[in-house]
Amino acid sequence: MGQFSFLEKIRIPTYNDPDQVEAGGVEFDYEKCSGCSICVEACPADSIVFQDKKPYLKPTGENECIACGDCVAICPEGAIQVTKGYRYTGYFKTVDQGDLKPPRLFGDE
Amino acid sequence: MAQKAKAAVVAKSKKDARAEAIERLRTDWTETEKVILRRRSVRLYKKEQVPEFMVKRILEAGRFAPSAGNCQPWKFIVLREPEIIDGITDTVVEITKKFNAMLDYRKPGASWRRPLAKTFIRLRHNDLHPVPFGAIGMISEGRLGLWHGAPTVILIFKDIRGVSSPELDCGIAGQNMVLAAHSMGLGTCWVGFAKLAFQYTKKWKERLNIEYPYSWANSLAIGWPKGEPDGMVERPVHPVDWYENGTKTVCE
Repeated sequence: MGQFSFLEKIRIPTYNDPDQVEAGGVEFDYEKCSGCSICVEACPADSIVFQDKKPYLKPTGENECIACGDCVAICPEGAIQVTKGYRYTGYFKTVDQGDLKPPRLFGDE
Repeated sequence: MAQKAKAAVVAKSKKDARAEAIERLRTDWTETEKVILRRRSVRLYKKEQVPEFMVKRILEAGRFAPSAGNCQPWKFIVLREPEIIDGITDTVVEITKKFNAMLDYRKPGASWRRPLAKTFIRLRHNDLHPVPFGAIGMISEGRLGLWHGAPTVILIFKDIRGVSSPELDCGIAGQNMVLAAHSMGLGTCWVGFAKLAFQYTKKWKERLNIEYPYSWANSLAIGWPKGEPDGMVERPVHPVDWYENGTKTVCE
């Protein structure tokens, strides 16, 4: 609501410009990681690469992580965390999305 | 008099039961919530087929979905024929290859395609949003499967004459089926990309006898998951405007 300038409403962002299209991100805890590589198989964006028996997020430009959390959920060691959601600018500007939070019970309200 | 007293006792115990149920909710998820919150899109399946009766039960969950005016504007097609599943996949891969060759400006030396691609993106902003735009490339290169090797696929077609928004009703029915499947320990994934095989070719519409009044809505991959893909994850919070007692608050 009132979050777009005229230019933002009409400008299609350039998808390979990291200033305009920013992929999501995950972090791996290599102490917990057993190197099973199921996260690589589960990733729908093909954003995880397996090197020296450990997973890594591909570099900017190759990484199209959509922060879906499939790798987080499937990891048998609980070694992965989503650290940021994807963010787009211009016509696809990401709006009304705040911090990442797990499901909340609101039990003490 | 005795009857009145009895009614009062029943009312009180009902009230107590509700208070207890509410207290439980403060610390525990309901079974339904667990299925909803733990559901992840599954893209790794075992080859083992899903028992037929389970698929029929999943279809029942779809059949009992709410729809505008109870018009039930859907047609479900179950595919458990590898020849058809693979055939549609091949068609989709072929189409994505053509799109990719025409539109992908991100590769070195291909930036001349950018103005044309951006015009197409403007015209088809939902289909060519950055996520599907990237997925077109991945599907065409075989880096992302279509139904990911799931042995059962449900195609959902909408009756275009449905009340209000038939596509939305198909979505509601589809999600009913997804949640039913996950409650049975199955994995599912919404697969919209199969649309290409029905939008840009006649082959599969003819093969599966899709004709008026039916039109593509979406599809579901269903199968036994490899590993344990379901579980709770973090998602961004979305600010919600809340109007009450004459004021507006924004909660997240």
